Amino acid sequence: MPTATDHWYDFRDLSNLSRVILEGIDSVGPSELAYLVAPLIGFVAFFLVFVLPSQLFLGVYGERRIIGRMQARKGPNRVGPLGLLQPLADAVKLLQKEALTPARADRAIMWAAPIFFVAPAVLLFAVIPFGPRMVFADLPAGLIFFIAVSGLPVLAAFMAGWGSNNKYSLFGAMRVVAMSVSYEVPLVLMLLGVAVFANTLSLPGIVLFQAEVNLWLVFMMPLAFAVYFICVSAELNRTPTDIAEAESEIVAGYLTEYSGMKWGLFYGMDIGYALAASAFAATVFLGGWSMWGLEQWVPPWLIFVAKTHLFYFVFIWTRGTLPRLRVDQLMGFAWKFLLPLAVFNLFLVALERLLWAEADLGDGIVFAFAAVNIALSAVAVWGWARLLGYRPERMPTRPRLAREAGGYVPLDDPAAGGR
Amino acid sequence: MNDVVQSEPFVMNIGPQHPSTHGVFRVKATVDGERVVDAEMVIGYLHRSMEKLAEERTYTQNIPFTDRTDYLSSMSNNLGYCLAVEKLAGIETPPRGQAIRVIMAELQRLASHCMGAGAFANDTGAWQTPIMWFMREREKILDIFEMTSGARLTCNYMRIGGVAFDLPPGFEERVREFIAPMRQTIADGEGLLSGNEIFLARARDVAVVPHELAINASLSGPMLRGSGVAWDIRKADPYCGYEQYEFDIPIGYRGDAYDRFIVRLEEMRQSLRIVEQALDGLPGGPHSTEVPLALRPPAGEAYARIESPRGELGYYLVSDEGPSPYRFHIRPPSLINLSVLREMTVGGSIADAIVALGSIDIVVGEIDR
Amino acid sequence: MTRWWDGVELARVAERLVPGSVARAEAGACLLRPERAVETLRALRDDAETDFAHLTNLCAVDLWDRFEVVYHVQSLVRNRIACLKVETADRESPAVPSVTEVWQGAWLQESEAYDLFGIRFEGHPNLQRILLWDGYPGHPLRKDFLAMPGGLQPGLNEFAGAAPRPEPPVRPVP
Repeated sequence: MPTATDHWYDFRDLSNLSRVILEGIDSVGPSELAYLVAPLIGFVAFFLVFVLPSQLFLGVYGERRIIGRMQARKGPNRVGPLGLLQPLADAVKLLQKEALTPARADRAIMWAAPIFFVAPAVLLFAVIPFGPRMVFADLPAGLIFFIAVSGLPVLAAFMAGWGSNNKYSLFGAMRVVAMSVSYEVPLVLMLLGVAVFANTLSLPGIVLFQAEVNLWLVFMMPLAFAVYFICVSAELNRTPTDIAEAESEIVAGYLTEYSGMKWGLFYGMDIGYALAASAFAATVFLGGWSMWGLEQWVPPWLIFVAKTHLFYFVFIWTRGTLPRLRVDQLMGFAWKFLLPLAVFNLFLVALERLLWAEADLGDGIVFAFAAVNIALSAVAVWGWARLLGYRPERMPTRPRLAREAGGYVPLDDPAAGGR
Repeated sequence: MNDVVQSEPFVMNIGPQHPSTHGVFRVKATVDGERVVDAEMVIGYLHRSMEKLAEERTYTQNIPFTDRTDYLSSMSNNLGYCLAVEKLAGIETPPRGQAIRVIMAELQRLASHCMGAGAFANDTGAWQTPIMWFMREREKILDIFEMTSGARLTCNYMRIGGVAFDLPPGFEERVREFIAPMRQTIADGEGLLSGNEIFLARARDVAVVPHELAINASLSGPMLRGSGVAWDIRKADPYCGYEQYEFDIPIGYRGDAYDRFIVRLEEMRQSLRIVEQALDGLPGGPHSTEVPLALRPPAGEAYARIESPRGELGYYLVSDEGPSPYRFHIRPPSLINLSVLREMTVGGSIADAIVALGSIDIVVGEIDR
Repeated sequence: MTRWWDGVELARVAERLVPGSVARAEAGACLLRPERAVETLRALRDDAETDFAHLTNLCAVDLWDRFEVVYHVQSLVRNRIACLKVETADRESPAVPSVTEVWQGAWLQESEAYDLFGIRFEGHPNLQRILLWDGYPGHPLRKDFLAMPGGLQPGLNEFAGAAPRPEPPVRPVP
């Protein structure tokens, strides 16, 4: 792999940019300020110029085309070649539209909410490693940073719901908070398992760990991956857990009163968060930029982006397929089902890590662990579901057929019995 | 717990502008948190006083009104009205006209159930996908209507004593081409939803209407059949020669929202069977009898009913030998099926109330008339 | 095929169940006395022979000097339908007893008849206008309600400016 140079425009090492800015500011001003400002400028510049447009573009366009395909329609295909300019046209249209504020709304809170919503989405990408050295802030506790920052948009959503002074909005906001509180717990427990096993909290460190042992963590802890997917889709309000914006129930949840670019920011950043969550999943569970040596031949960031969008595609897929659960069912699912599984996963992984570290088994043992974990995860899911009293639905999915009209046909009537 | 945490119910308006009320329909729901403690419906936003207007127009002029009551199944409404006038005036329809009416009414049932089943899936949160699949097939039906009657939605095709014009050339091939993809789409929709755990969790045992209540509350159509009551006007009181066609009445098990959904899907299959049989045995001859333009039926009254996609659609006509009906009353299945709205929604959550409303499959044009 | 109850035959059954309940019986319909109507209809619903479990249709007809409420009731098991009627005493303050406690399905239909005809259904749990708003002047389906602006009377062959039509005679509608 060619080594990165230290020119600022060499984005194979992202810290170049902030280093150059740092040096520039350092020469004119106090150095304390420079240390504070330089990474921010560098990151925001990089993010705004490269990541956000390209990813949002792919996200918006791809989602609409794929959903269109699933729904037996075409999707955007008029603006530009293949409709590629549709996201741009949408943005222009949203900018032109009036941003309404209801008369009794809390103006300050309502207008601040979209801004509060956008900022964390940008920050989330700061700790994601796009390539071997392509991470802007290589924090030693990047995992914790990510979890902490990804909890912030809940506040913005609640601000939006409260500030709108609308009952639908309030319901949406209430549901967001409830969901977030519930699903954050199994999510963090799962990620704790990841940190324990990889023995690091740094996201580049986790990727390096996966590259070293040649085993992605998705195979090591499939349970954690599945729970991560469910929790994240719950926190991001993606179907089947989009109760906060449940279109058919509470119109648009906390977004009901938003219009114009205020709404556009929420919409765009929803996809931004989904992409951040996908990038995080790709980093933590799917080996990040590593691909069993393929990263020597293909730019690692390309591998990373491909994995991100693969994960994002699953989001789109579920959105195009599944109905929505009810709020109490979702809460019950989080606390009764996911939480015990997360605890189980944590103990299992910690035990294996201890065994690995203490017994000096060598790196090859992780494959054995993976096999054990896959089997145990399946058993745990099945067993816990049985224990909770879950039984697959036995009622037939086709109605009974009666030959003649008459009154009520009892269920045990053989004349018109079910198939 | 309740001694410590005080909660206060408040009124939430679901509608008149709401994605899931299927028109301008409003439910004043009193909610305590997410739980609905009271539900009251407010209707009349679409009231056009059709029954009054119809008293001032001739019998033939009233046919277009019936298109606009249940605008998702105009053919069925035409048919019901024409049958009532024929019963009142003692007019016979030639066999070909009857067969054409059956084909049209069944295609209309398919189109309407496409909408109903799809919209119900939408209400449970299966965001747009099933409804789009069903809409694709519904478009084909509307195309067939357009080539037959010239209109897609408000067809105004039936006439007193038959139908307005004979079938166009190429009609039969068009319908036969449509049947196989429709079957496939029904199977697809069923595959996507019927066994889906999330769908089952949302629709099973939600909005249960026991069969005693269903009968006592005058429900009809899929609402009544979903509760396990084998009642279909096409079987019980055949009109237009339905007795010659072979089909079954799908009935549900427990009367919940899920049962109503699967009953609708199965009814679509049965409708396809009827369409096939009617096409096979399409008789020749005239499509309509000659009826005087200013029809003056003898004094009397007539109540004729058909099985519309939403239930028993009745027309009660009273004649005083005048050129226009003395009294023109529509028995709207959508309105009467709403009698159990409170029983279905109270006690459940808001999400369940939406599912309950979606499973009734209302059309507001028919509720308000 | 659904069989229709002959009005006279039905009147016999009703008289047997509730003596003095039938006011008049014709071939098409059986006219009940308002004061015994609920009792009679409940008896007809519960009787094994009639078994009118399903109230199919309920509507009102304006007969110029009185109103008539028409009930179409049917038995699902026996597949028989009947037409029963109740007449109001006058048209100034028309009132008939409500049958909501017999059939829940009467609830909305009675509300509608109240809204459009102004017939009070005594005992209805929530009798209020459902299609029109509270305070709407008049009841549109009454024959004397002027449907169009300019004082135009309902009916054909009448246009604004034409001489007003004489008051129609009271016609018994069979």
